Amino acid sequence: MEDFQSGEETAFVVEEVSSIVKEAVEGAIGGNAYQHNRVNQWTNSVVEQCLSQLSKLGKPFKYIVTCIIMQKNGAGLQTACSCFWDNTSDGSCTVRWENKSMYCIVSVFGLAI
Amino acid sequence: MSDLAKEKAARLLKKRGSVSSLGSHEVRAREPVGKAKDSISTVSYIDEPGHHDDNPRPTVQMENTYQLGPTKRFPVMTVKEILKDVLASYLQEEKYEAELCRQMTKTISEVVKARVKDMMIPRYKIIVLISIGQLMGQNMRVGSRCLWDATSDTFSSHTFKNSSLFAIANVYGIYFE
Repeated sequence: MEDFQSGEETAFVVEEVSSIVKEAVEGAIGGNAYQHNRVNQWTNSVVEQCLSQLSKLGKPFKYIVTCIIMQKNGAGLQTACSCFWDNTSDGSCTVRWENKSMYCIVSVFGLAI
Repeated sequence: MSDLAKEKAARLLKKRGSVSSLGSHEVRAREPVGKAKDSISTVSYIDEPGHHDDNPRPTVQMENTYQLGPTKRFPVMTVKEILKDVLASYLQEEKYEAELCRQMTKTISEVVKARVKDMMIPRYKIIVLISIGQLMGQNMRVGSRCLWDATSDTFSSHTFKNSSLFAIANVYGIYFE
């Protein structure tokens, strides 16, 4: 049986993932104001961009990316997550982004295979 | 020989911790206007891998189980029933209040995780994501995409609405090979 190196190369690196996510969000909805007919397209492109960049990292991980785009209306939103996994190898990262007209919350969960 | 491997796997599964990721994110109502920058972003680390372990566990040598896929699949409909049940019982008569809903999201996610764990689906990792929001005529889109093995991994989702709030619950089941 081969011994797989765990720790250095195969841990969930939060900084790397958060920078990928920020780039994806900026790229997809950067300077835009909230538009109802484009939101669908935006969520899709944010999530697809994140996922393709994450898969390029080439790590033995399964990824779950969730994106919430909400219009700024004075309404409040609470989000929580609870996970049953392996603490040493799995991790998650959440990035909150906003501009004048909308909020965008992206959560990435990485689970080691 | 396969019994030994199964026993070992079962023991390891019990040792593996369950993380109560009680990180919750609140979008405050009525953000103060007048920022110089056009957009801001913040990052929150819900969980740093390895920080919870006080004594680092030695790397375990896993034996080959010769198992190609899950023996028992993730029961999507049963989990959906659990979500319906839990959301309805906790939120039926509630009004949206920031502090109450903050606690509620954490509680509901813990309760759902506990109930799904009780189903004892072997070799599955579970992620529960709950969002509770205020209904104020705003529009919102929630999207999720996953890079996984479609034959063994799946998810279950449910939304709940009453006169003043809405709640979205997502449960992902990931097979651990």
